[in-house]
Amino acid sequence: MSAENTQPDLEDLNVIVSGQGGDGSLTVVNLLASVLRQNGMSVYTERDVLSRIKGGITAATLRAFSGERFTIGNHIDLLVAFDIDAVPKNRRQLNKNSIVLYDNSGGSLPDGILGDEIRAFGAPLSRQAVKTFRRDIYKNSISFGLIGRILGLPDDTMRVSFESRFKRMGPQIMKYNLDALTVGLGLADELGFVAGKGLYRIQEIERKPHMLITGNEAMAFGFSVAGGRFYAGYPITPSTDVMDWLIKWSPKFGGVVRQAEDELSAINMAIGSALTGTRTMVATCGPGLSLMQEGIGQLGMGEIPLVIVDAQRGGPSTGMPTKPEQSDLNLLVFGGHGDFPRIVLAPGNPEDCFYLTVDACNLSQRYQCPVFIASDQALSQNTATIDPLDLERVVIDQGKRLDADDVSKLDTYKRYLFTEDGVSPYTIPGTPDGMSLVTGNEHDEFGLVSTDPVNRVRMVDKRQMKMKTMLPELPRAGRFGDLESKIGIIGIGMTFGVILEALDTLADRGIDAQYFQPRTLWPMLDETIEFINGCDVVYVVDLNAEGQLAGLFVREGADASRIRKLLHYDGTPIRSDAVVEFVVNDQTQALGAEEVA
Amino acid sequence: MTKTFTPARPIWCAGCGDFGVQQALENAMKNLGIEPHETVVVAGIGCSGSLQNNVRCYGYHALHGRVLPTVTGAKLANTDLTVIGVGGDGDGYAIGGGHLMHTLKRNPSVTYIVMNNGTYGLTKGQASPTSPNGYGENIEEDLDPILLGMSIPGSTFLARGYTGQPAQLLELTTAALEHAENGRGFAFLEVLSPCVTYNDTYREWRTDVYDVEQDPDYDASDKVAAFTRLMALRDQGRLPIGLLYRGERPALEEAALNHDFPPLALQDIDPSKLMDKYQQALESFMR
Ligand SMILES: Cc1ncc(C[n+]2csc(CCOP(=O)(O)OP(=O)(O)O)c2C)c(N)n1
Ligand code: SF4
Ligand SMILES: [Mg+2]
Repeated sequence: MSAENTQPDLEDLNVIVSGQGGDGSLTVVNLLASVLRQNGMSVYTERDVLSRIKGGITAATLRAFSGERFTIGNHIDLLVAFDIDAVPKNRRQLNKNSIVLYDNSGGSLPDGILGDEIRAFGAPLSRQAVKTFRRDIYKNSISFGLIGRILGLPDDTMRVSFESRFKRMGPQIMKYNLDALTVGLGLADELGFVAGKGLYRIQEIERKPHMLITGNEAMAFGFSVAGGRFYAGYPITPSTDVMDWLIKWSPKFGGVVRQAEDELSAINMAIGSALTGTRTMVATCGPGLSLMQEGIGQLGMGEIPLVIVDAQRGGPSTGMPTKPEQSDLNLLVFGGHGDFPRIVLAPGNPEDCFYLTVDACNLSQRYQCPVFIASDQALSQNTATIDPLDLERVVIDQGKRLDADDVSKLDTYKRYLFTEDGVSPYTIPGTPDGMSLVTGNEHDEFGLVSTDPVNRVRMVDKRQMKMKTMLPELPRAGRFGDLESKIGIIGIGMTFGVILEALDTLADRGIDAQYFQPRTLWPMLDETIEFINGCDVVYVVDLNAEGQLAGLFVREGADASRIRKLLHYDGTPIRSDAVVEFVVNDQTQALGAEEVA
Repeated sequence: MTKTFTPARPIWCAGCGDFGVQQALENAMKNLGIEPHETVVVAGIGCSGSLQNNVRCYGYHALHGRVLPTVTGAKLANTDLTVIGVGGDGDGYAIGGGHLMHTLKRNPSVTYIVMNNGTYGLTKGQASPTSPNGYGENIEEDLDPILLGMSIPGSTFLARGYTGQPAQLLELTTAALEHAENGRGFAFLEVLSPCVTYNDTYREWRTDVYDVEQDPDYDASDKVAAFTRLMALRDQGRLPIGLLYRGERPALEEAALNHDFPPLALQDIDPSKLMDKYQQALESFMR
């Protein structure tokens, strides 16, 4: 690195580490994340994986920020490529300030791939690893020496973080990795990246206590603290980490996790558990959610509480298993046959995932119906730093549950009693004299099968009534940006962080907009429709081809003429520049039109 | 005493075998002193899947074919409960067939009674997995779920009864309930329960059944010998009844649950009760 470098403070850094699957890109990114977190920065990491363990170009991306961001930036400052093919694949995210570090063990980067502006450096990472350690994987630790020097991390900081990271793997492994780091520092010297002359001045920000957590982990944790004790699932990317976290932790809380033979079994095991009054959850994504549809109708008819996480991925069918999309919205809101009440919640970051899962548990038992959590691959699997969750905020509400005492005071107990609010008191099996019939058949108040037309209408109306009575209790939207602005932006899930960043950029470019983050998608709240109809124009960031999110708004009374749909369904995570560009273009056109008029 | 639902009168055709199954179940429960309010009967969809309406206990009418995952979930969630699954051959061997082998392999302490009539009664007489080749339009061989169960190492209780032999059926039902009550695992009892309307087999079955309990050489604990014998009987066109296999293996709930805690459904889930553990989990994200 040349000495004339002015060394700006490190405030916003985006690094992508890419290579063949199995190259260990994620390890390098995690290591870098932990170093930067030690320095007080917040981090956000993203994985771009293929649904196989080895082979094909994969990537892990890290953003480190001195404030808070829930998205990767629009361009990459440093690309580390363990495989030359990773360079063209990530080319479009680079700009003239970017640096590329690539493994030249297999040869140099062909001319013309990057153009003249981007600085690229080759180092024999793999060759050195095999030569010195007989194991290719040590190229990760070797590369870290180079990465650290390029960025400006002090050598000592790197050593200390290596020690803490590899400590638990035993002294031998730690020694090899430290040696590999030294090899990397040697290569850095050869390339002219000397200590203390990195790209950035890495200032020590005061390190606040924080959590590093994914959306999936936050939902699993929220479920547990809310008293969730039974989880059934069938492995499917990108929802599986929910099960993985619970397998590790739930037994410590007295809970259990069962891996079922398929999603039909998973949801029915969950129903069996829910019938006993146990707080129960399943997590899946499109294909699994499709298989669960009959069970979901059963929850509606039987008035059985269940929390269902949908970590949406590219559909239809097997689609793109590891890519983010939000194309299950229609299935979440309208899936299943027949009329029945349901709730669909939509968190936007891991903190939201935690608290909305707690809400979901409470709502499912208060209103005795399925409660969905609409997540997506990116929200579910990306890691973000957040302030420590406040566990004291978690309050349990099991709704109209009757214990033996309550029942003994009743003249008659009816599982499906007609009530004004549509919610019938319930007992759990084991309660003397609380015997009931729970059924997917239409039934009378006792749960006995009935096809009487008068009863039928009353029962349907009773269940539908819950959709009205629950309204005041449903989670309200998040509001951000210039709340006076008539330019609105709406998005859910992973677009939360993207839109927040877009708001800042738009403000810099003279467009003050506001972001409305609906946290209850269904039933549609009045606040959502009022927001849209109160704006001049609303940009809906819709991660599917059909505009499913916008479609829900219009169906529920939003003025379609105010809505502009930004449809994104190419399988890549949308970035804030796409939102900014869309809004700016539209605003410019509108201005142009005004001038003409 | 608080009044709750009055058990329904069975809606089965006069002469339907399912009456006998219900009677055996009710009597076995009574004999064993199983409390109705601590019992959940989970029924499938079919004529057989109306039994839960007729008995006084907690009843749940499951989805077609999903009795076994449901009882597994219910038992794991509250091991204090007596959990009984009932359903038809179509429900349990066709649409729900996949779950049977997995439940045998898991071995949860629940009882599962299949009313096998070799037909789909409720949907008016189509072939079921146990219909013989030649029943109506059926050109497929029939399935023997007991033999399937014998091939699964996790199986612990496999029996077949016949509603034409009510005394033995009561004994088998009692033994099945006891197996599950004692935490020995999954008690699978198939009952030959004729459908007088679409597949009246009373006459054939009376002569076809072969009661292994009358055979001094039959050893229900010797899997290889029992399997060989059952295969041979099948080739002779006989229908073995009685306790056909009994094995020992830890039950699912034994292995799956953390026994330092009460049953899941009965835990006090106020967060303050486990705050130290939740805090520990929270801190695992702060490293
Ligand atoms: C998903 C689904 N598919 C089809 C049906 C229609 N159906 C109801 S009962 C039944 C067959 C029942 O046969 P069996 O389980 O042998 O019960 P039986 O009436 O003979 O006692 C079918 C196919 C259904 N209820 N659900
Ligand atoms: S149709 Fe057959 S199975 Fe159904 S009730 Fe009548 S006799 Fe029983
Ligand atoms: Mg049948």
